Amino acid sequence: MRGRAAAACVALVAMWLLSGCGGAGTGGSAFVDHEPLPPDTMTTSMDELGRYGGRFVAGTTASPKTFNPVMANETSSSDVISLMFQSLTDIDYMTQEDIPVIAKSWEFSDGGRTVTYHLRRGARFSDGHPITSEDVKFCYDVVMDASDPSFHSSMRDALTMDVGGKQLPFTFSAPDSYTFVVTAPATDALILPHVANLRIMPKHVLEPAWKAGRFASSYNTATPPESLVTSGPWRLKEHLENQQTVLERNPYWFGVDAKGRRLPYLDQVVFRVAKDQDVAAQMFHAGELDGLDNVKAEDYKKYTAEQQAKGFVLHDTGPSFYTNFFWFNLNLVRKPEKGKKVGDPKVEAYKYAWFSNRDFRRAVSMAVDRDAIVRGPFYGYATKCWTIITSGNPRWYDSTITAPDLDPEGAKKLLDGLGLKDRNGDGVREDAAGHPVAFSLVYNGDNKLRQAIATLVQDDLAKVGIKLTPSGLDFNTLVTRTRHEYDYDACLLGLGSSVPNDPGMGPNFWKSSGLTHYWNAGQPHPETRAEARIDSLFQASIATTDLAARKAAYHQMSQILNDECFVIWLPTIDIRIPVRNRFGNVHPSPMPHRILWNSAVLFDKRPGSKN
Amino acid sequence: MELGRPLRQAPGVEELRTYLLRRLLQTIPLLLGISALTFLLLQLAPGDFLATMADNPQVSPAALEAMRHRFGLDQPWWTQYLLYLKNVFLHLDFGESFSRHLPVFTVLKTGLANTLLLASAAALVTWTLAIPLGVVAAVRQYGWPDRALSFVAFLSLSVPEVLSGLLLLWLAASTGWFPVGGMRHLDHDLFSPAGRVADTLRHLVLPALTVGLIPLAGRMRQMRSSLLDVLRLDYITTARAKGLPESQVILNHALRNALNPMITLFGFTLGSLVSGSFVAETIFSWPGLGSLTLEALNTQDQYLVMGSVLMASVVLIAGNLVADVLLALADPRIRHG
Repeated sequence: MRGRAAAACVALVAMWLLSGCGGAGTGGSAFVDHEPLPPDTMTTSMDELGRYGGRFVAGTTASPKTFNPVMANETSSSDVISLMFQSLTDIDYMTQEDIPVIAKSWEFSDGGRTVTYHLRRGARFSDGHPITSEDVKFCYDVVMDASDPSFHSSMRDALTMDVGGKQLPFTFSAPDSYTFVVTAPATDALILPHVANLRIMPKHVLEPAWKAGRFASSYNTATPPESLVTSGPWRLKEHLENQQTVLERNPYWFGVDAKGRRLPYLDQVVFRVAKDQDVAAQMFHAGELDGLDNVKAEDYKKYTAEQQAKGFVLHDTGPSFYTNFFWFNLNLVRKPEKGKKVGDPKVEAYKYAWFSNRDFRRAVSMAVDRDAIVRGPFYGYATKCWTIITSGNPRWYDSTITAPDLDPEGAKKLLDGLGLKDRNGDGVREDAAGHPVAFSLVYNGDNKLRQAIATLVQDDLAKVGIKLTPSGLDFNTLVTRTRHEYDYDACLLGLGSSVPNDPGMGPNFWKSSGLTHYWNAGQPHPETRAEARIDSLFQASIATTDLAARKAAYHQMSQILNDECFVIWLPTIDIRIPVRNRFGNVHPSPMPHRILWNSAVLFDKRPGSKN
Repeated sequence: MELGRPLRQAPGVEELRTYLLRRLLQTIPLLLGISALTFLLLQLAPGDFLATMADNPQVSPAALEAMRHRFGLDQPWWTQYLLYLKNVFLHLDFGESFSRHLPVFTVLKTGLANTLLLASAAALVTWTLAIPLGVVAAVRQYGWPDRALSFVAFLSLSVPEVLSGLLLLWLAASTGWFPVGGMRHLDHDLFSPAGRVADTLRHLVLPALTVGLIPLAGRMRQMRSSLLDVLRLDYITTARAKGLPESQVILNHALRNALNPMITLFGFTLGSLVSGSFVAETIFSWPGLGSLTLEALNTQDQYLVMGSVLMASVVLIAGNLVADVLLALADPRIRHG
C-alpha cells in the first residue's frame, strides 16, 4: 500500500512539473497610451502598420556588464544599451545614411566645421523629464572631462582631432533649450557619427554621481530599474545576471507610426543568456528564443528546409560587414631590445627579405584559391571581398577595386623571379642562402572557421612551393604576440564593422601611425612610399564632406593597399538570420544588433500567443 | 584535501571550540597562499583585461594607456597584489570588477547562491539514489539487481558530463518536457508561489541529474562494498543467530556502521560543491558561479577571478571542516580514539 501511495505522489509531482506552469504571457493587456504625444514626434517608416502587445525574446552570449552608455565596451552591453539610449542622430541600417533622432534636424556651417542641431520639442526621458540641450551638453561635458580618468577615453578620442600635430577637442554649446552646437577643430566628414557615438543620458539623474566622481559606476547592473532613466524606446524592467535582461516600453518615447500611434509596438524585449551557439540553437528550436543572430553557414541548408514547418523565416541579409584577411609581419624594432637594434625587422632578416617584397606578397595572394574557401568552410555561403568594406554596404562598396586573385602559374613565376627555387627537390622553395620558404600563420584557435581557412591556405601555398604552418593560439596570446611583442610571421584575422560602416572610421587601420595598421604598426613616419600615399589619401577622405571626393580617395587608397598586397583578402560570410514568422517588420541587418536595430517597429502579429 | 588532524577525542563543547578555532586560524595562511598563487597565475597568462580592446581600431594607444593606469595594470604584479591585500585586510574591500565597475561580491553573490542550489540538488540526487541502490546491490550480491546496477553504474561512470548534459538538453528540446536551460520561466514573477517553486524545480531537474549522476556510480559501489564488509563481521552473524529478521539485521545493525565511510565521502562532496557543477552550468545556461568565473578568466577581469577563487576555496575548506566534525560525531570509534 505504502509503495503505491508513494508512486502516486511521485506521479503527481512529475505531472505538476511537466505540465508547465500555465504561462501567463504578456498578451491580453493591450497597451493604452496615457501620455500626450510631443509636438515633434518622430515618424518611422515601415512595411506594415503593427499592433500593440507581445514580446521578442532574443539570445545573447552574456549578460550586459553595464547599462552606462559611456562605459560599455563589448556587444553584450552595447546591444542592450542601444535599445535604451539614443543619440542626436543615428545611421539608417539599410542605407548607411545619417538620420535624425533626438535632433530633428541639423545644418552645417563654417565650411562643414560646425553643426547646429535642433532638438525635438517635447521629447522626454523614460521618467517623463524633458530632454533638452542641457542634458545633451551635460553628456558631452562628462565625456570631455579629461580630469576624470576613470572611464574610457576612447569616446573622447572620437571627439578630438589631430590638426597639424596638435590634439584639439570638439567644442560644444547650448544657446537655447532646443539648440545644440558642435564645432570641430577642422572640417571632418564624420562629425555626425562621431557626435552620435555618445548616447544621451539624463542630467538630473547623473549629475550628482558625476560631481561625486562616481560616474563610471553609475547605471551599473545592480542599479534598480526605476532609477535607470533612459532616452530610447525601451527602459529596464528587470535584470538577472547571466539569466535575462527584460526591457519594457518607454511610455514617453517620441517615435510614432504613420498613423501617429506611439511606438514601440511590443510590450517587452527580452535578452536571454545562452552561453553557446549550439545551446542558443536548441533554445530557438524549443521556441524559447524568437530569433538567432548567429547561425553557422553549415546549418543554413537545414534551417531553409525547416522554416515552413517550424514557423520561422530565414532572412538573407547578404554579405557580412566582417572582413577576413591575413598579413605578413613587417614590424620593425621601435625600442632597443636584446640582440636587435632599433630599425631591425622583428622577424628574421631572411624572412623580412621575402615578406617586405611586394612580388612575394602578390605571389601568395595569387596562390590562394578563394573559391575553394567559399565552397569549403563557408558551404558556398560567402562572397569574395577585396576591401575593408564588403558588398553588403550599398553606400561604400566599390566593385572596381581589384587585387591579385588565383593564378598559381603566375605565382610560381613571381617566386622564381625572386630567386626562390626548390634547390633540393623536396617540394619547398629555398632562397639563395638555402633557407626553405617556410613560415607560420597564427590565428585564434577557438575559431573553427579560421582553422579551416588556415588549412586551405596551407594547401594552396604548398602547391606553389611555400610551406605554411597554421598555428592556433588562444585569443589573449594572439593579441599579445601580434600587437605587443610582434612575435609572429603572418597572422589570419578578421575586422568587424564600425558604426557607421565608413572607411573614415578606421584611421588606426589605414594610417601608418595606427596601432591596428597590423602589418607595420605605429610607424613614427610612413616607412614606404605607398603608405605615405595612403596616409595622405586617408586624410583627404575625411577632410571633406563631399561624398564623391571621399569615394574617390577611398578607391585610391584601397587600390594602393591591394597593389602592395599589405593585406591578403579572403572571402566574407553571407549572413542568414532566422526569426519567427509571427513577427512583422523584421529586417535583419549585418550590423549589430542584427535583428533588434528596428525594435521599435517590430510587432507580434498574434499578440497574446504563447511562445 | 585533508586539513588539520581529525578529532581524536569525544568533542566536548570546550574542545570543539578550540578545535574549530585552530582550524579557522589554519585557513588564513592557506587562503593567503591560494590568493598569491591565483594572482601570480593571472599575471603569467598572456594579455590583460584590455587585450580585447587593444584589437579595436577605434581605441587609441593613449586611451589604452590611460585605462591601464586607471586599473593599476601598469604596476608590477607584486605591487598590485600587496595593494589588494592591504585593501582586503584594512577595508575588507575585495576590489572591483573591471568590466562591471561593481564590488566583486555584489557580482558574485547571486551566482554563488545559484551554484549552491544546483549543487545541493545534485547531491540530493546522488545520495538518495546511491544509498538505497547500494544497499540493494549488497543484499542481492551477484543477483540480477546487483548485476543490472553494476552495468548501469559503469555506463554512467563512462559517459562524460558534457555528453550526458547535451543528451538531456536534446531530450528537453525535442520533447518539450523540460526547459532548455536557464533557471526561470520568463513569466516567473507572475506565477503563484507554488508555481514559482515548480518552475524552479522544472529548471533544476536536468542540470541536477547531469551533475548528480556522475558520482552516483562510485557512491553506490562504495555503499555496496561498505555494507558487504560489515555483513561479514561476527556481530552480524550473532544477530542473525539470535533469530532477528534479516531486514532488521541490515537496517538496524549493519547499515549504521556501513554508513560511516559514506559520511567522510559526503563531507568531501560538500567540499567540491562549488566546483562540481561548472560544466553543467555552461550547458544548461545555469546562472552560477562557474559561468561568472569562466567569463572573468577569459576577459582577465582579475579581481573578479580572485573573488570567485577565494569564495570557492572558503566553501571547500568549510566543507572539509564539516566533514571532519560530522565524522567525529557519527563514529564512536573515532570519538573514543
